[in-house]
Amino acid sequence: MAQQHEEFLARGARVYGLSADSAPMNTAIVEKLALPFPVLSDPDRTQAVTPLGFADEKDPRQISRPGTLIIDPNGDIVFSVTGRDYADRPNEDDLLGALEGLGLPAATQSPPELGESRPSERAMPYEGLPHYFRGAKFAVLAVRGRYRDTGAEFADDTKRYVQMVERYLEALPAVEERRT
Amino acid sequence: MATDFTVVDNAGEPWTLSDHLDAAAVITFHRGDF
Repeated sequence: MAQQHEEFLARGARVYGLSADSAPMNTAIVEKLALPFPVLSDPDRTQAVTPLGFADEKDPRQISRPGTLIIDPNGDIVFSVTGRDYADRPNEDDLLGALEGLGLPAATQSPPELGESRPSERAMPYEGLPHYFRGAKFAVLAVRGRYRDTGAEFADDTKRYVQMVERYLEALPAVEERRT
Repeated sequence: MATDFTVVDNAGEPWTLSDHLDAAAVITFHRGDF
């Protein structure tokens, strides 16, 4: 998402993250990934996460499900995807395609203000991310090979997951550059 | 019209959707804790 930030702006959209984490936890993630957009916080999930249908009612941690909304300047939701789990996120190209159809003038977005930074105790340090992504990729490839006869849905799902992790790996050099 | 809402940004400042709709908004929801 950060990788394509300029492309989103060129299509007339600003980008925001949103989670049920506290503002200091979100500042920590903005710093860790050197995000060019803010991450919003709805800690009790009553303002946006639940009203917009993203509350994960099955998870005891009171968190948000992953997903993406595009809201046009009229305030209408013109794109909405809710992931089934943490590994199910929309492809950025699908979002850019949806924006293309709106025909909006280019937008600008100031870098996010940073407040107090306090990472979650369970947050993975930046240095661990390349290993994590590679491990996730090869674990899924191994399982994919082991159950290759399971069917087209499994094959498509695992293929999409591997492609997503590859996009994350490809984005890391740019993250590294933004962090310096 | 989408539900308007006010949350806080990562600096702890109030952030209201309708104040930012001079452009489209792409909002990605995260599980957090990462």
